[in-house]
Amino acid sequence: MLELRAVSKTFNPGTPNELRALQAVNLTVDDGLFVVIIGTNGSGKSTLLNAVAGSFFVDSGSISLAAAEITNWPEHRRAKLIGRVFQNPFSGTAANMSIAENLALAAYRGKPRRLDWPLRKPLLGEMRERVSHLNMGLDDRLKNPIGSLSGGQRQALTLLMATWLRPELLLLDEHTAALDPKSADQVIALTDTIVRRHKLTTLMVTHSMHQAANLGDRLIMMHRGRVIQDFRGAEKKRIRVDDLVARFEEVRRAELLDESAAEMLRRVYI
Amino acid sequence: MSLLLGALTLGFIFSLLALGVFISFRIFAFPDITADGSSALGAALAAMLLVHHVNPVLATFAGFAGGFLAGTLTGMLATKFKINGLLAGILVMTGLYSVNLHIMGRSNISVLGSSTLSTYLDRVGTALTRHNTLNVMGWEITSLEASLLIASFLFIVLAGCLMYVFFQTNLGTAMRATGDNHEMVRALGINNENMIILGLGLSNGLIALAGAFIAQYQGFADVQMGIGMVVWGLASVIIGEALVGTKQIGLSITGAVMGSVLFRLLVAMALRLGLNPNDLKLVTALFVFAALVTPELLNRFKTLKPRSFHA
Ligand SMILES: Nc1ncnc2c1ncn2[C@@H]1O[C@H](COP(=O)(O)OP(=O)(O)OP(=O)(O)O)[C@@H](O)[C@H]1O
Ligand SMILES: [Mg+2]
Repeated sequence: MLELRAVSKTFNPGTPNELRALQAVNLTVDDGLFVVIIGTNGSGKSTLLNAVAGSFFVDSGSISLAAAEITNWPEHRRAKLIGRVFQNPFSGTAANMSIAENLALAAYRGKPRRLDWPLRKPLLGEMRERVSHLNMGLDDRLKNPIGSLSGGQRQALTLLMATWLRPELLLLDEHTAALDPKSADQVIALTDTIVRRHKLTTLMVTHSMHQAANLGDRLIMMHRGRVIQDFRGAEKKRIRVDDLVARFEEVRRAELLDESAAEMLRRVYI
Repeated sequence: MSLLLGALTLGFIFSLLALGVFISFRIFAFPDITADGSSALGAALAAMLLVHHVNPVLATFAGFAGGFLAGTLTGMLATKFKINGLLAGILVMTGLYSVNLHIMGRSNISVLGSSTLSTYLDRVGTALTRHNTLNVMGWEITSLEASLLIASFLFIVLAGCLMYVFFQTNLGTAMRATGDNHEMVRALGINNENMIILGLGLSNGLIALAGAFIAQYQGFADVQMGIGMVVWGLASVIIGEALVGTKQIGLSITGAVMGSVLFRLLVAMALRLGLNPNDLKLVTALFVFAALVTPELLNRFKTLKPRSFHA
């Protein structure tokens, strides 16, 4: 179970660029739940995932995962519990190293790196087996450098790497946004299969209303560093793309209202 | 002939420098110039211990250990204290200058009277050949020269193989990945800061080892001897890359050794042809500069060409 209690994060505090990216966010995610996160640009979705992954420490609040209090754990320590796929296909893999070497790095996620041999026969066999399930024609290319692959292939491999050892939590931050539509569909289908098969607790950020409506067990909408909407269970199942678009429009209109109100206040008082 | 042998031997010894620079600059993409200080540190430590009759193997190893510590220090400044990598290297290098002076007690010490790896090899060589000189294809060479060459060659082959094997292990793979993509490495549970610290330790250990060997080869250690080491090492690495490419770690290691030897041969030739030794560092720096900018310039030239047509 993932639990965030009153988590706040402000960037550039005390400067004119001060940005309250997370404002006392509370979030509890039960084991095995697939949560989709949507929200306007800059609403704090990536910041939320980064806070959980430990890319930075939060200003206040606490985070626990799988009964461990991880608020003060550094990123590499949290990686023992967390698998991650980034938006940028270049971020998740080491381009100059072979597919096999990248997978081997993932096969030791959270374990000490010693002077032993990573590319042993059984592991290589398992690699061929698991890579063939990707259906991306990578079966005979384990020795090729990852840099020679397409974005879609790299994201599929990153997904495989993130879940090679079953993570307590899978974090996906717009992991199909940089891909062409066909590869994006492929990677999404793969995501759904893997998450369902291993019953992974998952947070997935997306900008695709289609994905948001059709995937996951729970849907969270963020705005200005807060969770403003939370659809679960049957309610989530009922949601259609149109509902989401309408909800977004509502938020946008409220935003405009906010801004015109602020403008009016400024005119009156300054 | 002994000029050639000397250049080859120096080339093999300096391969350790090239390998060290390869680790920091190429594997970690870390512009570490601690090398200028750590090479002299290795020489100073070994020389001081040799003068005090310490076993040469131990003294040489102490040189390696000293360099290793210096490298980890640079790594810690750069990671734990978030100091710019170049500056971290400069700080440690500058500090080492005083440290080296303290170790030696003055600006240089001679090891000519002490027993060193060179005197060991001399004895072994003489015992094996039963002569002080050898005749190789009509050339007269001393058994010392021959045994130094063979020993340095064997050592560098061993060091290169060890390094290759190391970078295939889990730890070595994690290190290579750290230089490639530190974001991914952290996400896979690797402490990238520790990898950098350890890697720079290894790099400077090798460089200090080169210093320790050089001190015994030339018979003295000098506090100034480290100046320009980084550039020499880079020159070797660049030559190696031109020879064998950068595709595989094994090739890169071989390339660095080949580059180092070729570089030493070029230097010996240039000096023989009358290059002023004082100009050596300037020429090397210009060479590295040219090697770094040429590909870029060629690219720009290619892309500029069609446009200048219209102008
Ligand atoms: N490291 C940082 N330093 C300063 N500001 C940051 C940093 N990271 C994010 N921000 C700011 O915090 C706010 C929230 O950013 P975040 O990336 O979480 O948004 P997001 O919801 O993921 O948006 P998008 O949909 O565009 O990815 C943004 O205004 C962003 O500019
Ligand atoms: Mg984002």
